[in-house]
Amino acid sequence: MRRAAAALAAFGAALLPGAILLGALLAAASPQVCAEPARALDDYGQLTNPALQARFEHITAQLRCLVCQNESIADSNVELASDLRRQVREMLLAGQSDDAIFKFMTDRYGEFVRFNPPLEAKTLLIWGAPFAMLLLGVLIVYRIVRQRSRLPLDDEPAPGSM
Amino acid sequence: MWKFLLPMGAFVALAVLFAFGLNPNRDIHALPSPLIGKPAPLFNLTDVMDPARTVSNTALKGQVYVLNVWGTWCVACRQEHEALLDIARQNVLPIVGLDYMDQREKAQQWLMQLGNPYTAVAFDTDGRTAIDWGVYGAPETFLVDGQGRVIYKFISPMTPEVWQHDFLPRIQAARRSGA
Repeated sequence: MRRAAAALAAFGAALLPGAILLGALLAAASPQVCAEPARALDDYGQLTNPALQARFEHITAQLRCLVCQNESIADSNVELASDLRRQVREMLLAGQSDDAIFKFMTDRYGEFVRFNPPLEAKTLLIWGAPFAMLLLGVLIVYRIVRQRSRLPLDDEPAPGSM
Repeated sequence: MWKFLLPMGAFVALAVLFAFGLNPNRDIHALPSPLIGKPAPLFNLTDVMDPARTVSNTALKGQVYVLNVWGTWCVACRQEHEALLDIARQNVLPIVGLDYMDQREKAQQWLMQLGNPYTAVAFDTDGRTAIDWGVYGAPETFLVDGQGRVIYKFISPMTPEVWQHDFLPRIQAARRSGA
């Protein structure tokens, strides 16, 4: 059991640089760390109400521009994105809730328009897959480690034989 | 046993994934429309050819019709134009045009030079009708049944083959069931 723990620790140590690198990459990719990305501009400036403007920025960043597909409608300069920003703006000014705006968009463009699909029965696979993969990886490592810990000890070189 | 089954299973799973994902015939930009089976959004817009006239799909209720979204800026629309003219000549059903993100003069020129396959063309000045229909490009072609429900959406240039295989059977089925 000791050997198993030691092997596991060694395995963990081997993974550590990778994990650090991954963490650094994730941190670099998140908007908190890197500079604010350039936003597409419309003729009408910001909303005068800062709370509404904050909601506007949040919502438009969560909606996919279907022309470019990997850009949000907040970032895209495509005409469709501009039309959709106008739509979000008008709905906010009309006092509609975030949910109502997202529903308006998914009713027309489908779930694909949302970068963060809500957790539902049909999106369970998307949300669950990473955890399932992690679990699978842990099981595989556990099996390998357990098998190796059962190997006889005499394959180690005797002290002083080098 | 597991030593054999696990890699085999992984291989089969990957093969299925690649067969789907790398299929050259799959249009990665084509998205399923949430509008299928739902009532077609109503519009009331001006006619491209004559701003004094309106084009509305309310009057088309009870008829199976096609809505074709196009624009003079759209190369693929130029590409499908011959096919649309051909379909119009067969006189199967009304083809309503929705001129999207366009300039009226250019659209008029286009129709006069290339021929007009449309029963009427609505001019979507501000893109609102396009948003209601979930349009994100052109050309897009919708099929609406007699009850005013969207029954099919085709994203890509129309061809005689697509018309033959994807549209005509659906039109016939809609007419049979819709009275």
